[in-house]
Amino acid sequence: MPDFFTSIGSLLDGSFLQSGALWALSTIPGFPPIIQTVHILGIAVVMGSVVLLDLRILGIAVPSQKISEMTRRLMPWLWWALASNLVSGAFFLFGRPLRYFNNPVFGWKVSFLIPAVLLALFFHIMSTREECYWESSPKRLWSARVIALLSLFLWIMVAMAGRWIAYAEYIYYPA
Amino acid sequence: MGFLNSPKWIDVENWPISWEIGGTSWFPFLESIHVIAAAFVVGSILMVDLRLLGFAAVKYPISTLSKELVPWTWGAFVIATITGLGMFITRAASHVVNPAFQWKIVLLALAGANMAYFHFRVYKKLAQWDDKNPTPLQLKIIGSLSLLLWSGVMLAGRWIGHII
Repeated sequence: MPDFFTSIGSLLDGSFLQSGALWALSTIPGFPPIIQTVHILGIAVVMGSVVLLDLRILGIAVPSQKISEMTRRLMPWLWWALASNLVSGAFFLFGRPLRYFNNPVFGWKVSFLIPAVLLALFFHIMSTREECYWESSPKRLWSARVIALLSLFLWIMVAMAGRWIAYAEYIYYPA
Repeated sequence: MGFLNSPKWIDVENWPISWEIGGTSWFPFLESIHVIAAAFVVGSILMVDLRLLGFAAVKYPISTLSKELVPWTWGAFVIATITGLGMFITRAASHVVNPAFQWKIVLLALAGANMAYFHFRVYKKLAQWDDKNPTPLQLKIIGSLSLLLWSGVMLAGRWIGHII
């Protein structure tokens, strides 16, 4: 793990953020499974927004919907879902910072998440430049398809890595 | 309580495949696929439910959304079921008596019944308000129930691991 990453963990460890998160997780009845469910529902919105859009761009889903219209309608849902997941995820991150910032699988998750977000941001910003930006020429459409394929892979890997955080020892310290 | 306490569930846990999954990386692998598939179940049905409520995608006829999205929901559901069964057999006896698991099955059945009601009872009469918004109360109820029940399935599913 990179040093700056582990130092974030040490910084959070023992801080008021940790005590606040641990207080919520241990005091509010059912808080851990509820907040985890909120996190998974956020992933569901990621699936229903950017992943669905990627599938549409690749020509395998919702043929009656237009790429430009879908982008305009669905991308705000992605940003809200990610904001929500940042908050729901933060409870666990702050609660046990060393468990995450010393965990190579969490590092993998972040490494998939950052390019996935940047790619979605780029796609969204370009689409606001002109009406039907990504459909206006064959070259742009092919760029959109490459972006969609990459985006699809990245979001699946974010979710996959997220679940494997709890199983890091299966990969890194096999019995 | 013969069914839930039956020693047959222990037999299931002792199948060679149950040991193979439970004792290896197969378990987290199936679990991660399960979460992704479950998220896709909710994500794909979400646009239909919000359309029924009149909150989103109002420009599209309900039947078009349903035709294009529900097959994806079913596909993801099949994957979630297969991966779910794979995890279930590793601890079958404890799962069947786990209240969270029992809730999950009940909520799943209710979500299925809600979907079946929409498809077999309401869908045929759809023509008159297929492209209308606001939608009638009946559709709003079906859409909200779907959202609530699927979220409940997720919550109960996630809770299973906190009880075992």
